[in-house]
This record gives sequence, structure tokens and C-alpha cells, in this order.
Amino acid sequence: MKTCIACGMPMEDITDFAANDPGKDYCVHCSRPDGEMQSFEEKKENLTSFIVRTQGFDESVARKIAEDMMRKLPAWKKYFDEPVDTHS
Amino acid sequence: MGVSTRQIQKLNTRKRIIETAYKVFSERGFSVPSSIIAKEAGISHGSIFAHFPTVNELLVSLLSDFGDKMGTSLHVLAKKCDSVDSLLKEHLKVLEEYEAFYSRLISEKNKLPDEAKNTFAIIQSTVAYHFNSVIEREIEKGRVKKLPIHMLLNAWLGLVHYYLLNKDFFSDSNESVIKRYGAELLSTYLKLIKNESEVYE
Repeated sequence: MKTCIACGMPMEDITDFAANDPGKDYCVHCSRPDGEMQSFEEKKENLTSFIVRTQGFDESVARKIAEDMMRKLPAWKKYFDEPVDTHS
Repeated sequence: MGVSTRQIQKLNTRKRIIETAYKVFSERGFSVPSSIIAKEAGISHGSIFAHFPTVNELLVSLLSDFGDKMGTSLHVLAKKCDSVDSLLKEHLKVLEEYEAFYSRLISEKNKLPDEAKNTFAIIQSTVAYHFNSVIEREIEKGRVKKLPIHMLLNAWLGLVHYYLLNKDFFSDSNESVIKRYGAELLSTYLKLIKNESEVYE
């Protein structure tokens, strides 16, 4: 089963996919109305406000959790993989 | 691409460490030294360090595995639910399956490294995601009281966690608290959150 590269949600039904297109790697919740994938900042803000609204956490804590969720996902990995090894 | 016997062995040992740690932590808490996990797993203490250089790394890896497993179980079961009643019933089922480890997690969470703590928050976000999609519809239909979503969810978790955290008061043996009280917790919670016409219909 495919999972969304931007939020990790398993995508089983066609309605789970962005624009009902099973060829897409991201889900309906991670797409914009035009079917394009949301940007890193957009997704982070959406996840943060979702956590605040559904779990009631403090906003800055929620943002940190949103970042930790995104860190593990293929779509956002590059935003966290800052070049650490500058000697090679 | 061929996988060598050595690689398979390595993966098997890693799997065995994680499974043993899950069992040992469930029974004795997260502060158990890694030497005990090695002993239980039947491997040398050094072998644990080859896979997980620090205890924190083992913990984070274990919790992330646990989060993925619990998240997938929840997702598969919750997808079919169209009422808050059935969703919470499935939530209890998943909690019962992972009860010992989950109880340790909620009681010792504050002693865990940040990364491990956040894994717990991510698990709860999966619960929140499904809860939100069901409860919004229930509120719209007038079946559930119009209260903030986070309060409806936190009231449920508060109730369930209270029983899990005080298991020694609520049961006198090793029986599952969820098994014994789950149905009562669920029916009481539903009566509290539903509009009266729904409760007494």
C-alpha cells in the first residue's frame, strides 16, 4: 500500500489520493485545491494548527511536533538534512 | 539485489533486540539497564551497542517502531468507522493489544528523551486525526454536544489514561484494565458527550 510522502497517511482508496489520482505520491490532505502538493511551510502550518485544534497543545510545542513528524517523511527530508559534513 | 546471510543475521539480531526490549520495558519500565535486555535476548552486551550505540537510540528506534505499528492498526480499524461509538471501540481494542507497553509510556513519558516523547505525540495525532473526522460529522448531525474537538478528545484520553495509570487500584491481578472496564468507560463517555435526545432515544 502506498503512503503519502508528505504526511505518511496510508492511501488505500482512490479518494485518499490528491485529485483522485492514484499515480500521485501524496494524499488529498497534502494537496492544494489545484492538485499540487503543499509547500513545506504550508504543510508545517497546517499540521501545527491541526494539532492545536484537535489536541489543544501549546502552539510552539505543536510546531515542534509537526516538524518531528515531517522530518521522517520523504517529501521533507531535504529540509532537515542540512549539510553537516563540510570537510568532505 | 542479493542480501547476504550476514545482513540477514544482522537484521534478525536487531529485530530480536527490539522485540526483547519491548517485552522487558513493558514488564519493568524504561530504566532497565541494557545488560538485562541483552541477557533476555540471549546475545552479548556488546552486540546491543553494535546495533544501538546508546540506550536512547534503542528507545527512540523502539518507540518509532511502536508508533508505526499502533498507528497502522488504528488507521486500518478506524477507516471503517462512521460513528464515534465504533471508533472509540476500535481505539480501546488497539490499546488493549498494546496495554502494558502503552501504560509504561504514559507513566514514564516525562523521563524519556525528547525525540521519544514526540513519538508519543505523533501516536496521539493519529488518534486525533480519526477522532476529528468522525466527531465533526457527529456534531454537525447534532448527535454530539458542540464542544471544542480537543476537549472532547482530551476528556476521553483523560478517562482512559486514569484507569491505565492506576491499574493497581482498579484490578488486583494481571488482568487488562481495558478488558475489564473498557465497555463501562465507553458507555459513560458517550452519555456525557451526546445530546440528550440521542442518549435517551
